[in-house]
Amino acid sequence: MSALLVQLLTGLSGASSLFLVAAGLTVIFGVTRVVNFSHGSLTMLGAYIGWSVLTRLPRGPEWFILGIVLTALIAAALGALLETLLLRRIYRAPELLQLLFTFGIVLVVQDATLWLWGPNDLPLPRAPWLRSFVSIAGERVPLYDLILIAIGPLVLAALWLLFTRTRWGTLVRAATEDRDMVAALGVDQKRLFTTVFALGAGLAGMGGALALPDASANLQIDLNIITDAFVVVVVGGLGSLPGAFLASLLIGVLQSFGIVLLPQATLVLVFVIMAAVLVIRPNGLLGRAQSTARGEAHAFALVRPAAPVLRRLGLAALLLAACAPLIAGPFLLSVLTEMLIALLFAASLHFMMGPGGMASFGHAAWFGIGAYAAAFAVKGLALGMGAGLLLAPLIAGLAAALFGWFVVRLSGVYLAMLTLAFAQIVWAALFQAVEITGGDNGILGVWPPPWAADRRVFYWLTLLLCIASALLLRRILYAPFGYALRATRDSERRAEAIGLHAVHIRLAAFTLAGAAAGLAGGLSAFSKGSVFPNFISISRSVDGLLMVLLGGVQSIAGPIVGAIAYTGLFDLLLLATDQWRAVLGLAIITLVLAFPHGIAGSIHRLWLRGREA
Amino acid sequence: MLHVDTLHAHYGRAHILQGLSFHIAPGCALVLLGRNGAGKSTTLKSLIGLVRPTSGRITLAGQDIAGHEPHAIARAGLGYVPEDRRIFTELTVMENLEVGRLPPRDGRPPWTPERLFALFPNLAAMRNRPGGRMSGGEQQMLAIARTLMGNPRLILLDEPSEGLAPVIVEHMVHAIRAMRDSGVTILLAEQNLHFALAVADQAAIIEKGRITWHGPIAALQADPALREAWLAP
Repeated sequence: MSALLVQLLTGLSGASSLFLVAAGLTVIFGVTRVVNFSHGSLTMLGAYIGWSVLTRLPRGPEWFILGIVLTALIAAALGALLETLLLRRIYRAPELLQLLFTFGIVLVVQDATLWLWGPNDLPLPRAPWLRSFVSIAGERVPLYDLILIAIGPLVLAALWLLFTRTRWGTLVRAATEDRDMVAALGVDQKRLFTTVFALGAGLAGMGGALALPDASANLQIDLNIITDAFVVVVVGGLGSLPGAFLASLLIGVLQSFGIVLLPQATLVLVFVIMAAVLVIRPNGLLGRAQSTARGEAHAFALVRPAAPVLRRLGLAALLLAACAPLIAGPFLLSVLTEMLIALLFAASLHFMMGPGGMASFGHAAWFGIGAYAAAFAVKGLALGMGAGLLLAPLIAGLAAALFGWFVVRLSGVYLAMLTLAFAQIVWAALFQAVEITGGDNGILGVWPPPWAADRRVFYWLTLLLCIASALLLRRILYAPFGYALRATRDSERRAEAIGLHAVHIRLAAFTLAGAAAGLAGGLSAFSKGSVFPNFISISRSVDGLLMVLLGGVQSIAGPIVGAIAYTGLFDLLLLATDQWRAVLGLAIITLVLAFPHGIAGSIHRLWLRGREA
Repeated sequence: MLHVDTLHAHYGRAHILQGLSFHIAPGCALVLLGRNGAGKSTTLKSLIGLVRPTSGRITLAGQDIAGHEPHAIARAGLGYVPEDRRIFTELTVMENLEVGRLPPRDGRPPWTPERLFALFPNLAAMRNRPGGRMSGGEQQMLAIARTLMGNPRLILLDEPSEGLAPVIVEHMVHAIRAMRDSGVTILLAEQNLHFALAVADQAAIIEKGRITWHGPIAALQADPALREAWLAP
C-alpha cells in the first residue's frame, strides 16, 4: 500500500515538470498556431543553462529558487529572440513546413549544445536539503518530490490568473480565436506573439531546470520531452491549460507505475491510454473542436499528370537506371539501391500527405516495421527473402490500418503529432524488446539468398519492386479512388454530402501508404543485411518529409526528384563534416525561408507566372 | 476626413478594386451601395488593411495609411466592424470591449462601457455573458460597441443590418444616428436601401470595383431610374 503511495508521489512530481513544458507548448500553439518542435530544445537548454547557473550559486534553497527563476528568464529571452529572428517569418506557411522549420532549429540547437557543454551528461550535485526526506505514512518521501508536486497547481493557478485577470491575457485569448480581428482593433500582433512565445519558452526552460535534481542535463532531453509533451497536449486537448494539467498527471503517474509493473510495456501503455482518450473524446480531455484560426486558408495545388516532355525524360531516366549495373561499381550500385528505396519511401509519404492531406511526422514507423518484419521472417521464422518481402508490406500495412483507425479521424497538427508519438513508441518498443529485436544491437545477417546475392541482381529486383510500387501508387491517384481521396482532403463535409465515406477512404490511403513504406523498409533490410532501431528514428521520418517537400507536394514527380537529390546530398554531407546536424538544420531553415512552397512548387509558380503574365 | 484615390486591390489573381476613388467629409455618413460582388466588403477591408491594396492612396485626417499594418491603421483612428461580426465567442461582453479599448483621441470624451451600454441597453444586462451565447442582433451591437472602444475618428460598418430582425434594425438606426451626433464619421456598406436612407446623408454606388455615382442620398432617392440602373438585382 505504502509502496503504491511512494510510486504515486513520484509520478505526480514527474508530472509537474512535464506540465510546465506542455503548458508552454499549448499556449504558443493557441496563439501562433505553430506546433513548435523546438520547444523540446528550449527545455533542454533550460536544463543546461540551469546546470550552469545552479553549479555557480551557493547551495541553499533560496539560491536554488533564484537560479530557477534566472534560468526561466534566460530561456524566455532566448524564446523571444527565436521568435523575432525566425518564427515570425513562417506564420503564414503551411503547418508541415512550420514543423519542419522548427525541427531545423532542433538540429542546430543540438550541435550548439554539444559544442557549448560537451557530450557528457551533467548531473547536478545535490545540496543536502535536496536530499532530505519527509516521512509520510511511514514511508520516506523525497522533499523535492513534494515541492515539485506543489509547483504544478501553483503554476496552473498563476497562468489562469494571468489569462483571465489581465488585459494581456484577454488579448491573448482573443488572438487565439481570431488574430486578424484583434489586429483590426488596434493590437500589435507582433508584440503579442513575441511575449506569448517568451512566456512559453520561459515555462519550457523552467520545466527543464526543475527536472535537473532528479535527472541530469543531457542531449536526449529535447526529443524525449517533446514526444511526451505532444502526447500530453493531444490527450489534454490542444490549447487547453487545465487539459494539459490533467493529462500530464495521467501520463506522469502512468509512467511511474508502468516502470515498476511492466517495464517493457510502459510506452505501449501510454499509447493505449492516448488512443482510448481520443476514441472517446477526439479533441482531447478538455479540448474543443479545432477550427482553423481565422485569416488563414491554404489552397492545395492541383496534381496534374506530367507533361509529355517530362514523361519522356522519366522514361529515359528509367532506362538509364536499368542499365546502371552494367557500368556502375559496387559502391555506386549500393548508393543507387538506397536511392531507389528512398524513392519508394518518399512516394508513399507523398501519397499520404499530398493527395491524402495527412501530414505524417512519423512515417519511419512503417518503414521500420516493414524492415523488422522482413528481418524477423528470415532470422526468427527461417523463411526466405520472398516471404520476407511479402511480410514487410503486409505487416506494415496491418499496423498502419490498426493505428490509422484512430488517426484518420484527426487532421492537421493533431495527426502530425500523433504519428510522431506513435513512431517514437514503436521505436522505444523495438529498443526495449531485446529478446526479439536485439535492442540497440539490431538483427544482423539478413542477407538475400544466393540467387540474389549479386549486388546487380538485387539492384534490379529493387528497381523492379520500387518503380512498380511507385507507378501503382500513381495509378491509384488517377483512379476514382484518388479523386475521392482528394475530395475528402479539400472538403470533408462536401465529400460526405456526395456520398463518400471520408474515414474509410482516408484509412485505405493510410494503409496503402504504410504498406508501400513497409516494402521499402523490407528492401532496405536485405540491402543493408541488418536492421536497427534507428530505422524508425525521427530523423528518418524527417528525411522523408524533406524529400517530399524539397521536391514539392504538388507534383507526383516531386518526391522522386526530392528523394534522389536528398540521398545524394546527404551522403556527401556525411562525408564532408562532423557537424552534419547543424548544417542540415541550417539548410532546412534556409530552404523554408526561401521557398515556403517547396523547390518544385516555387519553380512551378514562377513558370505559371511567366506563362500567364 | 477620408480620401481614397485610385485604389486597386486583388484577391489572388482576381482584380477586385479597379481604381476606386471617393472621399468623406468629417461628420458625414456615406453609404456604399452596390450589388453582391461589386467590391463593397473588399473596399472596407482594404481601408483597414486586412486586404493589402496593390496601389492607390488612402489618407485619414491627412495621414497616409495605404499599405500600413491593420493595427497601425486602427490606431490612426479607423474603426472596422466586419460583416460577420467576428465576436470573440470565448470572451465575455466586458472582455470583448476591453480588447477594443484604445487611448482617448483629440480631447474628446472617450467611449466607456457605461456610455456604450446607454447606447445599446440590451448589452448592459449581459456584461459577463460569453460572446458565443448571444443572438445575432446582440452580437452586432457588441461588434459596434467593441470598435467604438477604440475611439475611432471614422467607423467602417459592413452591412450592419444583414440578417437582423426588423425591431433590431430599427434599434441599429437609432444607434448609428447617435454615433454620428457624437462626432464619429461613418462609412457604411449596404445592400438594404431603406436602411441606408435612414442613416446616411451621402451615397456612392460601386460597380465592378469602381465608383459609378457619388452624391447626396436625397438625389438617389429622387431618381428611380438611377436606382434601377445600378441597384436592381
